[in-house]
Amino acid sequence: MAKKANDKSCHTSGNEHIEGLPKIALVGTPNVGKSVIFNRLTGKYVTVSNYPGTTVEISKGKGRIGDCEFEIIDTPGMYSLMPITEEERIARRLLLEERPDVVLHIVDAKNIKRMLPFTLQLIEAGLPVILVLNVMDEAERLGIKIDAYKLRQKLGIPVVVTSAALNRGIKELKQEVADYVGSIAA
Amino acid sequence: MSAVSQPDVIRYDQTIERAIEDIICLLKREYNISKRSIAVLLLQGDDEIKDMISRREGGDWRRISDIISETQKAYDEPLSYIMAMERQKLAWAITDDVVDSGNGSKSKTFAEHLSRLTMSPITGIPILLVVLYFGLYQFVGVFGAGVMVDFIEGTIFEQYINPWINGLLTQYIPWPALRDLIGMDYGIITLGLRYAVAIILPIVGTFFFMFSIIEDSGYLPRIAMLLDRIFKKIGLNGRAVIPMTLGFGCDTMATVVTRTLETKRERVIATLLLALAIPCSAQLGVVLGLLSGDTAAMVTWIVVVIGTLLLIGFLAAKIIPGQGPAFFMEVPPLRWPSLSNVWMKTYTRMQWYFVEVMPLFILASVIIWFGNLTGLFGLIISWLEPLMRALGLPGEAAEAFLFGFFRRDYGAGGLYDLQKAGLLSSRQLAVSASTLTLFVPCIAQFSVMWKERGAKTTLGIVAFIIPFAFAVGYVLNKILILLGVS
Repeated sequence: MAKKANDKSCHTSGNEHIEGLPKIALVGTPNVGKSVIFNRLTGKYVTVSNYPGTTVEISKGKGRIGDCEFEIIDTPGMYSLMPITEEERIARRLLLEERPDVVLHIVDAKNIKRMLPFTLQLIEAGLPVILVLNVMDEAERLGIKIDAYKLRQKLGIPVVVTSAALNRGIKELKQEVADYVGSIAA
Repeated sequence: MSAVSQPDVIRYDQTIERAIEDIICLLKREYNISKRSIAVLLLQGDDEIKDMISRREGGDWRRISDIISETQKAYDEPLSYIMAMERQKLAWAITDDVVDSGNGSKSKTFAEHLSRLTMSPITGIPILLVVLYFGLYQFVGVFGAGVMVDFIEGTIFEQYINPWINGLLTQYIPWPALRDLIGMDYGIITLGLRYAVAIILPIVGTFFFMFSIIEDSGYLPRIAMLLDRIFKKIGLNGRAVIPMTLGFGCDTMATVVTRTLETKRERVIATLLLALAIPCSAQLGVVLGLLSGDTAAMVTWIVVVIGTLLLIGFLAAKIIPGQGPAFFMEVPPLRWPSLSNVWMKTYTRMQWYFVEVMPLFILASVIIWFGNLTGLFGLIISWLEPLMRALGLPGEAAEAFLFGFFRRDYGAGGLYDLQKAGLLSSRQLAVSASTLTLFVPCIAQFSVMWKERGAKTTLGIVAFIIPFAFAVGYVLNKILILLGVS
């Protein structure tokens, strides 16, 4: 696994192949709306499931943010960087082998306490993580407030707030991804 | 981006940090994740990373391995636990600072009350029974398998399509063998397609629709919590609720879904139980129809099948080595199912069903045609007849059992004809329905088992199921005779 040069540029439109495009990997536990965000980013349907552990297969799609095209990879549910189930093993293998340019760690904002340790592991692994606090609408209804700006400073990574099922925060998420990829390329 | 000062990163205690540093020094190659992360995973006993590092670092692996075991010696608990706690503590410290979880005294919403009721055994079991009664029995059984099947099969096929096809065949095709392949009693259109469209479509469609509603509402994980204890007794845990319930729709699909179980042991147990004691919706529909006029036979059948499920699960959990994994599951909030989600889920499952399973049914009717044509089936049936008589059944039941392999409901359908002809007593109904339910999976499920679990496990399971199903039938028959049931 020789380190390959980061020669992926943003402006490869017109190229019909998915290879060579910057990669966005979605990771997180089952049932946090990963598939919904995948659909929002790609516009292609994948079975959306409300039951933990149903995203068995890996979905890949192509998405456009501004004038950049991306390859988007949806990984099976993952609870931590240390895999227990076969699905988690597959998810980690993807994370290691695909060398994504951006890793979106999607969490259920209501359960941020339980999910943050995984974010910490991803940061420790040196992966290019953006933390996505999803299902924010339900969290708000329960009276939970999260200071995303402060969280961003504490973790040292971008933090975005979304309610993907309601299509809220998706524009901001896309902007954040574009900035992130831009800042790496620069 | 905002100015980032000193981000909070994980620091473990001194001993572990020293071990991490030592390991990092020994890692000479380049990896796709940070060396610190690799050291951390190694200390936590990650087998896959161990394999990779021992392969790539060669000689230094010995020393790394020594550091790991030395470090572990300093602690009573596994390092993986200690390090996970360390991460959790940091996560709590961060969230305490940035999360305001409200004042907690907010009044509970209706959904939260309902959620609690579904998970407490006293109220949860009755709720589950009500859902099963209306969702499974009334909607799938009575409406799907009854009203809709009667209409599509009884009216559309038997009154219009079959006579028309058979008429055409008799008129234009002079070769009886070819006629039988396409139409007549067991042809591709009159049997294969008719079963797929007239029985599968309404039964599986109504089941998948109901299942999608239950899934999308968030009720499934609650059933999982509720049944976790019982499932643990049979070597599974709450997580297995999804494949096991799905099995009542289609065991073939359920066998694929056992992938979501954590250990190989659980996957094998679930596959075995699905093949043995979970009747699929098509079979369930026909068996319920078969037994609906005879309450005693129905109760006997339910007791035998559930009893077998629990007994074999319990024994399998004892015999198959390994430990039941702890159960951890996110319970999402209850919500109104969204119609578009339910529709998409039903649609994708139906699509899967037709693409993956339908061809196997067409193939099954070709095999039946071939078997009848060559006299092979006659031969097998003549071998099965004495076995039928040992179970106290009429010899004609042999045909139903043989066809049961090609489609579970073909078999039950065959019994249905016998019952209509008045050839089965109450005792024989109970015995034949129980044996047939336990007896081999259908050909589609068999091929999926082969693909998912491998040849050895599949053959092992089948070699167990066939004699076991007949033994249960034999014993049940003897018991019923002793009890004076005719």
